[in-house]
Amino acid sequence: MLSFIIKRVGQSILVLLITGLVAFSMFTFVGDPIDNMLGQERTMEDVERLRQQLGLDQPFIVQYYRFLEQAVQGNFGVSYRQGRPVAEILLERAPATLELAAVSGIFAIVLGIALGVFTAIRRDGVAANLIMSASLIGVSLPTFLIGILLIYLFSVELGWLPSFGRGETVKIGGWSTGFLTESGLKALILPSITLGLYQMTLIMRLVRSEMLEVLRQDYIRFAKARGLSDRVINFRHALKNTMVPVITVIGLQLGSIIAFAIITETVFQWPGVGLLFINAIQFVDIPVMAAYLMLISVMFVGINLLVDILYAFIDPRLRVAA
Amino acid sequence: MLRLSTALVMVLALPATAEDFKFAVTTDPQTMDPHAVNSAPVLGFLNNVYEGLVRRGKDMSIEPSLATSWEPIGDGAGWRFNLREGVTFQDGSAFNADDVIFSYERASSEQADTSSWFAPVSEVVKVDEFTVDILTTAPNPIFPDSIANWMMMDSGWAEANNAVRPDKDQGNYATLNANGTGPFQLVSREPDLRTVLEPHAGWWGEVEHNLTRVEMTPIQNPATALAALLSGDVDFVNPVPIQDVERLKGNPDVSVVQGVEARVIMLGFDQQEGAAESGQGAADMFLDPRAREAVAKAINVPAILQTIMRGNAEVASQLVDPSMRGYSTANAAPYAFDAEEARRLAEEAGLTGQTIAFKCPNDRYLNDEAVCQAITAMLAQAGMDVSLDTMPVSNYWPELRADNFDMYLLGWSPGTLDAEHPIRFLAATPNEEARLGSWNFGSYSNARVDELLPQIQSEIDDSARQAMLDEVAAILQDDVAYVPLYVEPLVWGVRSGVELTQRSDNFFILRWVTVNQG
Amino acid sequence: MTRFFESDIFYAFRSSPVAIVSAIVTALLVLSAVLAPLIAPTNPFDPASLNLMNGFTPPMEPNAFTGDSFFLGTDDQGRDVFSTILYGLRISLFVGFAAVLFAMILGILLGLLSGYVGGWTETIIMRAADVQLTFPSILVAMLIFGIAKGITPVEYRDQMAIWVLILAIGLSDWVQFARVVRGATLVEKSKDYVAAARLIGRSPLTIMIRHILPNVLSPVLVIATISLALAIIAEATLSFLGVGAPPTQPSLGTLIRIGQGFLFSGEWWILFFPACTLLALALAVNLLGDWLRDALNPRLR
Repeated sequence: MLSFIIKRVGQSILVLLITGLVAFSMFTFVGDPIDNMLGQERTMEDVERLRQQLGLDQPFIVQYYRFLEQAVQGNFGVSYRQGRPVAEILLERAPATLELAAVSGIFAIVLGIALGVFTAIRRDGVAANLIMSASLIGVSLPTFLIGILLIYLFSVELGWLPSFGRGETVKIGGWSTGFLTESGLKALILPSITLGLYQMTLIMRLVRSEMLEVLRQDYIRFAKARGLSDRVINFRHALKNTMVPVITVIGLQLGSIIAFAIITETVFQWPGVGLLFINAIQFVDIPVMAAYLMLISVMFVGINLLVDILYAFIDPRLRVAA
Repeated sequence: MLRLSTALVMVLALPATAEDFKFAVTTDPQTMDPHAVNSAPVLGFLNNVYEGLVRRGKDMSIEPSLATSWEPIGDGAGWRFNLREGVTFQDGSAFNADDVIFSYERASSEQADTSSWFAPVSEVVKVDEFTVDILTTAPNPIFPDSIANWMMMDSGWAEANNAVRPDKDQGNYATLNANGTGPFQLVSREPDLRTVLEPHAGWWGEVEHNLTRVEMTPIQNPATALAALLSGDVDFVNPVPIQDVERLKGNPDVSVVQGVEARVIMLGFDQQEGAAESGQGAADMFLDPRAREAVAKAINVPAILQTIMRGNAEVASQLVDPSMRGYSTANAAPYAFDAEEARRLAEEAGLTGQTIAFKCPNDRYLNDEAVCQAITAMLAQAGMDVSLDTMPVSNYWPELRADNFDMYLLGWSPGTLDAEHPIRFLAATPNEEARLGSWNFGSYSNARVDELLPQIQSEIDDSARQAMLDEVAAILQDDVAYVPLYVEPLVWGVRSGVELTQRSDNFFILRWVTVNQG
Repeated sequence: MTRFFESDIFYAFRSSPVAIVSAIVTALLVLSAVLAPLIAPTNPFDPASLNLMNGFTPPMEPNAFTGDSFFLGTDDQGRDVFSTILYGLRISLFVGFAAVLFAMILGILLGLLSGYVGGWTETIIMRAADVQLTFPSILVAMLIFGIAKGITPVEYRDQMAIWVLILAIGLSDWVQFARVVRGATLVEKSKDYVAAARLIGRSPLTIMIRHILPNVLSPVLVIATISLALAIIAEATLSFLGVGAPPTQPSLGTLIRIGQGFLFSGEWWILFFPACTLLALALAVNLLGDWLRDALNPRLR
């Protein structure tokens, strides 16, 4: 077992290193940061000097090596755009993304499970079929369009909810939260729906199909024959047994919520790491892009690693396969 | 639980009054350091916090600021500035000649992005506590015009906070903090999130505004910004998308402030012999002036302005617009639209049958992509085959620098608001050492223009200077060096009851803002 | 063919109205995309045929300057919205189909290989999948754009964009095919019939293609259908972020990006019709995929 874990961790580190290598080879193609950093009256001399200062005249392998060297010491460099340490910026922005992801995740899980159970129990009902079809509309339009339409309806036409940003935030230590003010909570609604809609649909469909399968099983039939009430059967027995695959999927989706946040944050001007990343691409802010990608990699690779190790504990046969 | 709640630090719990003014910008200023980045978002915002020796008024004319008066000295040896007395910085320290010397050294240092402003300067001399002489290497009639954005920093503050030189790539204290003499002082700065200003109580000038607190938020997506204005989340947005102007005018809650920006949008051409070797452009198709003229005549600029710009822009005839110093009234006629003539010229010049690689940014100027599409269609109607390639601006400049184009779109806003500026940057033959033609991507070259430029730069007599500017404008028109299209419009949106002044450099000057409580 | 009409699948299809309607909608949209040059009143991809003064004409109303009238109105360039949608649909469908095909072939190949061969091959492929999952597709698209820029001549850039989109979307999509195929291959590999095939000396390649592949096809088909809808939407999102189909040859996604700029200004038709078309297409394909998943899942029948 230990050797399996060591091997798997070793592979994960290799994956991280390769991800970084690919990332750095890409940066050359994203654009040239120099033009954004110098004004209209800059000369070629200025350009060359700054290029040298930033080490951009070096091949990407060298740039990557320097990044790694610094990163192991916890130093992710200084943002070209803001002239501040990247680590500081990321820490400042992380709460916004994490709170958004948490709220939209909870929204997706609660509503997804509730609607999934409902549509499974009332399999042939009109309402259930309507919900099933309507839920597909949510995944049949691009996220950015859903966001813009929500803003148009709820902020501009109805004036109920703010159109952008996080509202007022409260600082608790280094963490800025939008949970403690009314405007902060209001500001969370539209972006959370936009971001969570896709996952909600996914969870709802999964719960429904798992429920349908479980409800067909013999033990449920026995329970019915024993005269247990529908409620007890549906929630105590059926739902409980659908939870294992659902939880697995939710775990895997956690990463993609944060990755998907890029689009939602752009539309709602949500000051999280996704917006930071999009800004970094536009500005060719290489230190920020690199740090963000490494962070996301660590997250994805970490989740994968965890899942694999957990499975290996649960099902020893897989240890041999891997 | 009790301990936790005492640990909470409430921020922004101020009551929202009418004078609590919020505005949205598309680009967050990169820095609060007035000498680190020479870009419009930075200089425009910092004009509210820092001040220069001179400043621009509501009509863009140069007026006294930290200098009360100035005059040329010697025989074109330089300029003498008499400084305002009794001015204090926001931290309370006094402003004097030493701060000017310090700001000169700082702004002209190698680490500064503003050093090119001081290329003509040989020395800055302190005459007494409130007088400085700025000596130039050659007579320089427009020098005061070129330093309106050169902002004064307190030498003591910079030294105490270790910010004696700007630091673009690592940042320093002045990146996030500011201490100017201007009407507003920086209260908090959260890059990309919000920047808060409050009035500077000790400001020397007469207060016209009634703001008590100003908050700036960057919103990149213009649709989101407009939604924020319409829903009352912000009081001011810039720019309003051109297409939404009509709709906003019908809305009683908001009003639109329109004008023209000091920026001419034009087409440039690859006129470098053998450019095909360095870049990937087709061989020398625009070396023939008839080919350039064919493009100029094929484009129906008024039609573009009427539809895509919705009647909100004016046709341009030269590299500067009529509001700028040195505009050539003798050359005010734009190229006339004539599709048949264009077709004939294109055939004569051998342009027909070749594919023109046309580069265009899609996030730099108002409706840039739509304008380029319309130009593509118009050239096609005159028998020219165009391959349009649009891209974000961060990819655009490197692409132009690598000569990967036959034709490109460019907007030019002269920092000095003078006709000499575009000649120096766009029309002079590129020359690294002399710092000439650094934005002349197509390598247009005309010996007479190169000869006239230094004479224009040092001519003190206004009419002699204008005669030379007229000659250059005529040459550029005859050569079809560039095809000027239109002057970029300015469209600001504000909540009703807000009064402000729009300046053609697109700077939002807060000391001219008043909010009427309704 | 008769075998198909007598099959369970066809029976299930015939008895599901949702499946029939979505199949008809999908077929209609695909057909009108294929036949766009015949159906569309104008060719919006031919810049010489456009008249800028026709811009912003509302649906079914004559233009104030030219007097021309258009079924669904015109956009900012004076392009007929109806024709542009038909041509845009063509591009979106082409990008979608090609990207999914690319992802499917790549995914199946790598999945079979890693499942059947195992060992280091498997490790490398599955870890490559991890790397792939890390990169947002926008960055993959930008990378491919960048590389393609370096190798295509400057006059052909506008035609290159579509292939870049296919590659970018396809590349970010292969992982799920590979994972499913690998999983199914692992299961099938241990079954007796594969052991039997191996015993009688069949080559691994034959076993993979002739025996294992047919057994993993139904989950692949389901994923492919749902991926098609996702790919079409991904293309739209990439367009929104500025790396989509060129504005002179717009896809549905590019049309929506352009149209959303006119949401507040009252020219609703520039956004509304392309968005409805995209919704109809994605919805129909999604419903079809949904039905297919249920129909192919023997446990649910």
